[in-house]
Amino acid sequence: MRRYETLFIVTPDSSDEDLQAVADKFKGVITSMNGKIAAYDEQGKKSLAYNIKKQSKGHYVLMDYLGQADVVAELERNMRLDDRILKYLTVKLADQVDPDTVEEEKPKPRRAAETTDVSEEEDQSAEAQESEEEESLEEESEEE
Amino acid sequence: MVAYRRRRRSFPRRKVCRFCADSNVKIDYKDPKLLKYFITERGKIIPRRISGNCARHQREITTAIKRARHIALMPYTTIQPH
Ligand SMILES: [Zn+2]
Repeated sequence: MRRYETLFIVTPDSSDEDLQAVADKFKGVITSMNGKIAAYDEQGKKSLAYNIKKQSKGHYVLMDYLGQADVVAELERNMRLDDRILKYLTVKLADQVDPDTVEEEKPKPRRAAETTDVSEEEDQSAEAQESEEEESLEEESEEE
Repeated sequence: MVAYRRRRRSFPRRKVCRFCADSNVKIDYKDPKLLKYFITERGKIIPRRISGNCARHQREITTAIKRARHIALMPYTTIQPH
C-alpha cells in the first residue's frame, strides 16, 4: 500500500456537527476503498492567504492514510463535488508501506486534546510521520 | 575580441545552506512560518544566490512553497487581483 496525506479546507461557516459529518464522509471513502486511516487532524480555523470561493477563512484538516492509487482519485472526486470543501492537496508520503506497521487512527472524542494522554499520543504519531516523510522525499510527488 | 573576465565582487560572508548546517530543520509545506523566510515581501521565491541554499534544499523549498500556495497557506502574490 501507499501512504498519502490530504490537506483540505472546509468552508468556515461549518458547525462542529458539519465538521463531524465531513470527517465521517471522507474517512468512509477511504475505508470503503480498503484504505486505512492513520490520522485525522482538525487543525482549526485559519485565515487563507487568498480568497477561495469568496471565503477568507477555512477549517484546515489533515488526513493521513494508506491505500492504493485509486483511493486518491476517489477521495478527490468526492471532495471536488462537495460544496463544503474549498480546496485540497494530496501528497504521497511513501510508496510501499506494510499496513500492519501503521497504527490505525483511534476514534477519540472531539476536543479531547487537552488531556495529557491524548496529546502524548499525537506527538508520537507526528514524529513517526515526519521520519517517514523524510525517507521518501526523493520519490514524493503531488497528485491532483 | 579580447576575452576578459569581469571580477564579481565576492561577498565576504557567503552564507552556508542552513538546512545542510542543521539537519534537524524539516522542510514542510505545512510550515509557512519557516517558508516565509524564503519569499520576498511580494511573495516571490528568493533565488538561491541570495538565500544561500544549496541546490537540493532550494528545490525542496521551492516545492514546499508551491504546495503551500496551492492550499492557501501562502500567497501567490500580495498584490490583490482586481
Ligand atoms: Zn543544503
